[in-house]
Amino acid sequence: MLRYTLKRLLMAVPTLLIVITLSFFLMHLAPGGPFDGERQLPAEIEANLLATYHLDDPIWKQYLIYMGNLLQGDLGPSFKYKDFTVTELVAQGFPVSLELGFWAIGLALLIGLPLGIIAALKRNSTVDYLVMGTALAGVAIPNFVIAPLLALVFGVFLAWLPVGGWNDGAWPNLVLPVVALSIQQIAYIARMMRASMIEVLGSHFIRTARAKGLTETEVIRRHAIRPAMLPVVSYLGPAIAGIITGSVVIEQIFGIPGIGRYFVQAALNRDYTLVMGTVVFYGALIVLLNLIVDLIYSALDPQIRYDD
Amino acid sequence: MPKPLLEIDRLGVDFDLPGGAVTAVKDVSFRIHAGETLALVGESGSGKSVSSTAAMGLLPELARTHGAIRFEGEDLLAATPKRLRRLRGNDIAMIFQEPMTSLNPLHRIGRQIGEVLERHRGLKGRAARARVRELLERVGIPEPERRIDSYPYELSGGQRQRVMIAMALACEPKLLIADEPTTALDVTVQAQILALLKDLQRRDGMAILFITHDLGIVRHFADRVCVMRQGELVEHGETAALFAAPRHAYTRMLIDAEPRGRKAPVTADAPLLLEARDVRVRFSLNKRLFRPSTYFEAVRGIDLSIRRGQTVGIVGESGSGKSTLGRALLRLLDSRGDIRFDDTALDGLNASAMRPLRSRIQVVFQDPFGSLSPRLTVGEIVGEGLKVHALELSARERDARVQEALREVALDPAMRRRYPHEFSGGQRQRIAIARALVLKPEFLLLDEPTSALDRSVQATVIELLRDLQARHGLTYLFISHDLAVVRALADTVLVMKQGEVVEQGDTETLFETPREAYTRELMRAAFLEEAAA
Amino acid sequence: MTTDTAVSTPDIAGDSLAREAWRRLKQNKAATTSLVLLALVTLACVAGPWLTPWALDEVDWNAFLTPPSLADGHYAGTDANGRDLLTRTLHGGRVSLSVALVATLVSLAIGVLYGAVAGYLGGRVDNLMMRFVDIMYSLPFMFLVILLMVVFGRNILLIYAAIGAVEWLDMSRIVRGQVLALKRREFVEAAHALGVKDRKIVTRHLIPNAIGPVIVYVTLTVPKVILLESFLSFLGLGVQEPLTSWGVLISEGKDMMETAPWMLLVPSVFLALTLFCLNFLGDGLRDALDPKTR
Repeated sequence: MLRYTLKRLLMAVPTLLIVITLSFFLMHLAPGGPFDGERQLPAEIEANLLATYHLDDPIWKQYLIYMGNLLQGDLGPSFKYKDFTVTELVAQGFPVSLELGFWAIGLALLIGLPLGIIAALKRNSTVDYLVMGTALAGVAIPNFVIAPLLALVFGVFLAWLPVGGWNDGAWPNLVLPVVALSIQQIAYIARMMRASMIEVLGSHFIRTARAKGLTETEVIRRHAIRPAMLPVVSYLGPAIAGIITGSVVIEQIFGIPGIGRYFVQAALNRDYTLVMGTVVFYGALIVLLNLIVDLIYSALDPQIRYDD
Repeated sequence: MPKPLLEIDRLGVDFDLPGGAVTAVKDVSFRIHAGETLALVGESGSGKSVSSTAAMGLLPELARTHGAIRFEGEDLLAATPKRLRRLRGNDIAMIFQEPMTSLNPLHRIGRQIGEVLERHRGLKGRAARARVRELLERVGIPEPERRIDSYPYELSGGQRQRVMIAMALACEPKLLIADEPTTALDVTVQAQILALLKDLQRRDGMAILFITHDLGIVRHFADRVCVMRQGELVEHGETAALFAAPRHAYTRMLIDAEPRGRKAPVTADAPLLLEARDVRVRFSLNKRLFRPSTYFEAVRGIDLSIRRGQTVGIVGESGSGKSTLGRALLRLLDSRGDIRFDDTALDGLNASAMRPLRSRIQVVFQDPFGSLSPRLTVGEIVGEGLKVHALELSARERDARVQEALREVALDPAMRRRYPHEFSGGQRQRIAIARALVLKPEFLLLDEPTSALDRSVQATVIELLRDLQARHGLTYLFISHDLAVVRALADTVLVMKQGEVVEQGDTETLFETPREAYTRELMRAAFLEEAAA
Repeated sequence: MTTDTAVSTPDIAGDSLAREAWRRLKQNKAATTSLVLLALVTLACVAGPWLTPWALDEVDWNAFLTPPSLADGHYAGTDANGRDLLTRTLHGGRVSLSVALVATLVSLAIGVLYGAVAGYLGGRVDNLMMRFVDIMYSLPFMFLVILLMVVFGRNILLIYAAIGAVEWLDMSRIVRGQVLALKRREFVEAAHALGVKDRKIVTRHLIPNAIGPVIVYVTLTVPKVILLESFLSFLGLGVQEPLTSWGVLISEGKDMMETAPWMLLVPSVFLALTLFCLNFLGDGLRDALDPKTR
């Protein structure tokens, strides 16, 4: 198990390297420098600025410097938020995004899994059609449509919940963004769980379990759910990536001060270092979360071979 | 007359399908007494499995039943689900055909067996574990103390079936329903499992309802036999009497369907057609990126010579390398060693140099469902070889050749516009034979051509192959795990095990006086001589 | 049941799998309805802008932010600049659908080629190629695309290429799996034994049999691509004025939703309807082509 974990960590290195390198060179390919937008600086000051940021060095040297700083957790300065480094901005935004993402994935599993199981057990009944119809709607309606609609209905018309803001993660502020972020994943997970559950229920070992004289509840609880969950677990990686991507819009729509919002603003402001810093950070996060998902999967399925 | 343990009384089962109701079982009645073995025999679709599943109350929801299934006088069809659950796994237990998939892959086997004990005996913890270990020992699982904590994927097919039996025996049932329990297993393993069941029955006195398509097993295993066909019970009686004097035409056909007859050997001066020296095939097990591969040698230096008009049989269990050898001889796989066909050395020929020879060497595979391209019509499938080897033919002439080939395998040429999925297994195998024959080959590799077919269909295909050989002077290399079929068709036999030839000789001698222990074991298992004794 | 006897009957043309699948699809009401609706949406987007009385950025000085009305010819209302929303939505649909088409084709081309090569060659090459796909999978692609848009500016050709380059991974895995499985099937071995040339085996035996899952996957890729494009546009990183797309319109509508909810609802309905139908169609196709129901 330990060996497997180490191996997977080792495999994450090239992935991260690709992300960092790609982002770095893309950024430097961008036309114009970071200080072009400012009013014309005296040549001396500009040269000084370039030197401070090592922008007068050859690109390979800049790359090495960037990598060196990165190893120390330094993502460089932000060009727009002059008083902050990118690292500081990420460190500020991350706890907020994490909280949002955590509740969203939790809600997706908490609702998606039971819905899928119920639909599978009541296959081709009204309940099934209802659940699956709703799930399809959830897949089809993007979160950036759902979010404003939720805000309109619950925030403006009914005025039950605030339309935006973070308020240090108070729960009324959390509800709408979390729901908007998780609906699509709930739908995906419910659909996946239903399909997988139906397949498992038709398998031979379920017939064996019934032949043992177990009650239907025991058959489902002990023998069907865990194997049926395996595909869902392996979907968690993409699901998490989806939630992180989704959080970019959701944070923007609800005005939540997470990294997602910084990211969008930075992208629109062409704050290259901040865009790149967030991409690198997201890359590392997704790689790490994928690793955790794989470890969970291998804990659930005894047949996974760690040595491969 | 004692009261029967299980009495099936005019049982009928219909399935409500979208296209209308389909009758699976019609008016079937039979009885099983305590301690006896009743075999329910029939081909696929005869309703034998449906009947037994009904007795367990495990039919799918769209099934409608009528009649009665009485277990110790109690009608199971009228019993509550709760009552049925008390009986299942306790008084009536069942083992299935699919040992590989019948165990939950995520639970340790000890827990899976223990579950039955907990459900019906309230046994838990250490007491349950001790009982499970004892059961594993009884069904002959080596090192039960260690195996109790194994996951199913760590066990072989035979061992998994033993675990299933342990599970079934856990509560000492009065009736064991065994649904084709050995069909998915190799013959030697099959013999062990059957011997185990017999032995356990002798000790515990349970009754066995044994469902099978294999009459060979029935003859030695069952006290009484019921023969089913298309949902109806056509005949039943004492095993010996039924085999000696079958009354119903279908039973007679089934018994006759066991391959018969012998092939007359070719004369010693018949010219050599195919000759192979020291053929070796190896597969790399895990292709790693930056490390050398590890290899598995599937065929380890085999010599073989086949004379014109001969049928050489290769027998062996799964994993013996027999199919790999066949594919290597046809250059469908890379191999080492010399292979000569007629006057040409095949080894070292590239695909285009090999192509002209392909029309003379053809092949028929085992799986009639996998060997025909599902998106082509039968005519296109059969005619494909002509497009490669007989370019001079016009479309009309090609069609005529296709029709001729189909007639040759006793199929209606009018069927050539149809697609493979519209045909039965036996018909598909005929199409596969027609595809080979249309090129008028001299040599045919037959790789388990009858193994996926019902016995009665098997017999007609064997007749066809025999007939074609006689008419066209074909030479066969016949690969099979079924010794009875090989005995009926081959004039020389090779016995393979783990990539090597264990024994070879002419069919009569080899079958009458096998020299090697493995050959003897194989034969004993195949013809179940031990069980008869 | 079937018998093996040869009786002379007139030639019977059988049903090919494709025709059977089509028949099954036609029985699926949800899928056929979706197909019709999709055709209508596409037709409306292609022909519609010529039929509406307004041009894409034509300003109606008499109608700013007017709600939908039959009387003034703004059937879906107008936006804050007095532009006809229906015309804009249909124009936006052209962009969204063209991105869907082109980007899907890009992903199809890359994915099929990559997957087929990996599956057909097998062994070490396959191992290396699939390891690469694994690595690509764990990249935060969405963010790289955004970075790309930031760096190179918003350009519709770039959107086609970038989205296509993101979506090919699944396709390559599916195709590889299909090819690997088919390669081992006995009918392919039989074709080899007949001496059929490799190229013929690929075109006659491998491709026709791998096509079903690919078609299903394409129908499922299209909505993903549309979603991605609207996501980018919504963030203000997609197409630029004068072009518009559903994502852009939804983003504009979101800012006005309290005063002019139709600006959010009209493009949202078009987008959701299209995605809904594509998903239904994909599900229907999968059921129709699934060998298990055969």
